[in-house]
Amino acid sequence: MNAMSHTQADNAYNFGFLDEYAKKEVRRAILKAIAIPGYQVPYASREMPMGRGFGTGGLQLTLSLIGPDEVVKVIDQGSDDSVNAVNLRRFIEMTCPGVSTTTATTECTLIQSRHRIPELPLTAQQIIVLQVPYPDPLVVVEPSEDKRKIMHGEADYSRLLVKLYEDIVKFDEITISHRYPTRINGHYVIDPSPIPRWDVPKLNDSAALTLFGAGREKKIYAVPPHTIAEPLAFSDVPFRVEDFRDEQGRRRACARCGCVDSFLDEFVADSGSKTYQCSDSDWCDMQLQQVKPLQGKPA
Amino acid sequence: MNVERIWQADVQQRVFRELVEAFSRPGDIREIGDCTNGADAQRAVLATLMDGEMTLADPHGQIAAADWPLLQAKPGATESARYIVADGRRAPDFQPLLGSLESPEFGATVLVEIDCVGEGALTLELAGPGVDGKRTLCLAGLHPDWLARRADWVGGFPLGVDLLLSDARRLVALPRTTRIRISGEAL
Repeated sequence: MNAMSHTQADNAYNFGFLDEYAKKEVRRAILKAIAIPGYQVPYASREMPMGRGFGTGGLQLTLSLIGPDEVVKVIDQGSDDSVNAVNLRRFIEMTCPGVSTTTATTECTLIQSRHRIPELPLTAQQIIVLQVPYPDPLVVVEPSEDKRKIMHGEADYSRLLVKLYEDIVKFDEITISHRYPTRINGHYVIDPSPIPRWDVPKLNDSAALTLFGAGREKKIYAVPPHTIAEPLAFSDVPFRVEDFRDEQGRRRACARCGCVDSFLDEFVADSGSKTYQCSDSDWCDMQLQQVKPLQGKPA
Repeated sequence: MNVERIWQADVQQRVFRELVEAFSRPGDIREIGDCTNGADAQRAVLATLMDGEMTLADPHGQIAAADWPLLQAKPGATESARYIVADGRRAPDFQPLLGSLESPEFGATVLVEIDCVGEGALTLELAGPGVDGKRTLCLAGLHPDWLARRADWVGGFPLGVDLLLSDARRLVALPRTTRIRISGEAL
């Protein structure tokens, strides 16, 4: 009787697709992940009706968290309309009757995201779940998981720092474009999933809880709200985010909404010309709505 | 069949979300009495988290005999159980699991029942992950030894225990990362 299932007459699946025992196991892992910020808690990643690597880790977190009054937003590279986001959103709608979905960052209570954190700062009422392909930042310097676990426990990241230093020797700067190793609460270094550098500072002292789910690698980790998240760097080579200035040193603007302070995607036309557009589609729409009324007013 | 609310999946989901909030924001008091239909908060948390995979220790005899088969948890000794249920009015006379350097998640979660969460003579000042600056927490009915023992248990991060204090209706979490001060003295 413990954890009676929640199947509804018109739905062949349990609410949230996962059975209640699977949810309990994920839930216990989530609570330990929050209690030990940045530590990768192992869990029994379930088979989902989609290939591992398509966001099954994030989806299992979402389905273990979700309740019938939830407002869910699903994004893929900042867009609500790309394939991964649409498929996951449909799956959530199908298996969680009563749940509403939205594209508006302002309205949602739960965000599942692939590779971006929304531009709009999240609030304390929101939780963001990031899909993670490779959870362990130490895998590039140590193949043995047993040894990596000891290194993490001892907060021994010297070999990772040497790797960053080698970048500086070769290229005069750290060349990691995404998955930038980030130290949480002065101890564990995490792989913050393939978010661009632009998004890494958003993890620091965030109002919202950030959860990370790696389905194939069977790990869950978390950055609690108001927690220190520092990208690894050296005192003489500070961390920097993407530079969107053009050859003349002017900040590029979004071709659609004109925004000059968002993360931009580059589109290359057949002719070779490049245009830039906000990566976060909801942010771009919000900027457009703010610009339009202004254009209607006399100068 | 009339099944008590705490054993139903929708209630367990809501209790879990309150637990997520509690652990994300140490010292933030979460009221769960309404969604559990008045069931005791500690019982509702156990119903939400326990299954046959977990070991549960009950050194102070808090769990009713009729609940054990429903919880399905394996009864364990305090030294080896993943979850421990305790009476906070009594001094902690046990040594919980602290986990290991490689697997700190084996550090126990200790559910401590006290008289009152949110009011009382004991005032704690909290800081650490999840706390924006400082947060004050008042408690009644927590034996003073608990805070001293906890300070020993969580002294070597990432090892440690995560406390969840509860009264009849409310919860508050003190995960291992939370730094606690009592009336000016550091613990």
